[in-house]
Amino acid sequence: MIALAALALASSFWLLLDLVSVYTRNTATFGVASFEDRFSEFRKTLAPQTVLGYLSDNPVNDPSNQSEFNLTQYTLAPAIVKPSIDERLVVVNYHSGTPDQAALRARRLVPLHDFGKGVLLCRNDAR
Amino acid sequence: MTFVCIALVWLTGFSIARFLFPTPSRWSLHSVFLFSLGTGLGIGIASCVYFLSLVLFGPSPLILAGFGAIVSAAAILRGMSAKSRGIALEWAAGPATPGYLTGLLLLTAAFAVTMFVVHSLEKPHGEWDAWSIWNLKARFLFRGSERWKNALSTQMPNSHPDYPLLLPSIVAMCWTLARAESISAPIAVAFLFTLGACGLLISSIGILRGKTQALGAGIVVLATSSFIQLGAMQYADVPMSFYILATLALLCLQDRFSSELRFSIAAGLAAGFAPWTKNEGWLFLAAVLLARLTAILRFDSRAVLGPQFLRFAAAALPSVALTAFFKLRFAPPNDLFAQKASDLAAHVAVFGRWIITLEGFVKMLFLMGGFLLPIGLILGLYWFLVRFHVEERDRTPVATVLLTIGLMLAGEFAVYVVFPPDIVTQLNVSLERLCMQLWPAGLLAFFLVANPPQLVTLRPVRSKHDVKSQKAKLRVQPPKPAHPPVRLN
Repeated sequence: MIALAALALASSFWLLLDLVSVYTRNTATFGVASFEDRFSEFRKTLAPQTVLGYLSDNPVNDPSNQSEFNLTQYTLAPAIVKPSIDERLVVVNYHSGTPDQAALRARRLVPLHDFGKGVLLCRNDAR
Repeated sequence: MTFVCIALVWLTGFSIARFLFPTPSRWSLHSVFLFSLGTGLGIGIASCVYFLSLVLFGPSPLILAGFGAIVSAAAILRGMSAKSRGIALEWAAGPATPGYLTGLLLLTAAFAVTMFVVHSLEKPHGEWDAWSIWNLKARFLFRGSERWKNALSTQMPNSHPDYPLLLPSIVAMCWTLARAESISAPIAVAFLFTLGACGLLISSIGILRGKTQALGAGIVVLATSSFIQLGAMQYADVPMSFYILATLALLCLQDRFSSELRFSIAAGLAAGFAPWTKNEGWLFLAAVLLARLTAILRFDSRAVLGPQFLRFAAAALPSVALTAFFKLRFAPPNDLFAQKASDLAAHVAVFGRWIITLEGFVKMLFLMGGFLLPIGLILGLYWFLVRFHVEERDRTPVATVLLTIGLMLAGEFAVYVVFPPDIVTQLNVSLERLCMQLWPAGLLAFFLVANPPQLVTLRPVRSKHDVKSQKAKLRVQPPKPAHPPVRLN
């Protein structure tokens, strides 16, 4: 029992140190807080029943694609965000300094309002 | 305001638990048991009240407050006015418990709470499932107002729109009553469930097997960092583990105190909230009913079957009916079950899927929990040293717990083989969480059957007379010469 308790305690302490060390080293801005900050201005303009398309400049196979889409949905709720551009309004989540205009034109997306911080609202002229 | 709301929810649950098992006025193990049990009962009932109010009257904070106040006041009045009657839940007899074991438990609890707090400070919105599913739905319920049904829209397949609403409902209820979307609501709910599950395990084993076993189980569960972190991540697996543990622990207590059929009522209440928490709750409900039936028919008198099952079913019925209503009226079909029958048959025919699933389950036995050494091996070694012993009176409860866990694992194994198209990813992202749902119940089973170790050296008790005479014997006396002294002159 004593050995079991000692092992349990050591594991718990070790994992706690691990957790603290990871969090104190972590300086990345990715996460809910950064998305809430980036999308806050845009969210104020949305009606609850809005359905938006979604486009990102992440490479297709980038593992962060799915999580960024989910975070966008979480931030913009109760608007519904769909993982395609087949909607009249499309929110563009871009990471470069300026949105890629050529890529937008190729998809027939017309910028309506740039909210800054990588958030752009577009109209889909193909719809 | 959020904390007032959470406190009222907990107080409602505690009052219902106290109404069922009135506690003596002094602080005791009985109180710890009720404090822990009240957590899940209160949250379960409050989430049902919120959802009913939303469906019947729409998203009106005033009506919700009135509806909630009536339920809460009724529960608190009945619970607090209940006179102490029936049994008092106390530590079972067992070997003496050394003081340092309590110290170790408190230290592990301090580490667990610190880990929870550190995680919650760093990620207050929780992890992936929290912001992709549970808190997202809570936002839709709260922010969506009249359009709350958008939370279940099939246009957001990633949010699993068919998932039940216990967690989103309780969080949205706190936000609605507080009129503010505070992130402290989901954190507080997660904290209550995590600590509640640990408290329930410790108190249940304490009542059934004594203090040493209870403290041992408590140290192991509190040191299971995966379990504590899963709680802090605000996933629904820890609430699910709470309801599984509560149901099984209450059924064990039912067998120990067979004349007190209120344990079956409480077990039914807890079991009924499992399908309202996660879809696996349906599997649990089927498993526990089948296991209980088998255990009673095999080891107990058939006469107890009717009264126990009747009370269990009556208590589980309201929340099960609400979940069924939600599933039939609002929720779209589950994505796994919406697949074609021919695809599912093809999955079953692939032998590799069986092997991959089996490998995943065996590996998990050694990897789960986040311990420095594989916990499966450690518990195996512990068993080798203390061995198992099931007393005759414990056969029915032990069979109930083990059969339920076995049926759950078999059911989950079958789900992995039959349903997910990408079985490897599915195993990687979900198997440890499913194991954590069963982990507290598994520890309940383990410490129910393990022999309690003798940690304090026993000394024979002496009477005063014995002590005096022994002291007299030990008094220093001049040694008698072995031979008479020799006169030299």
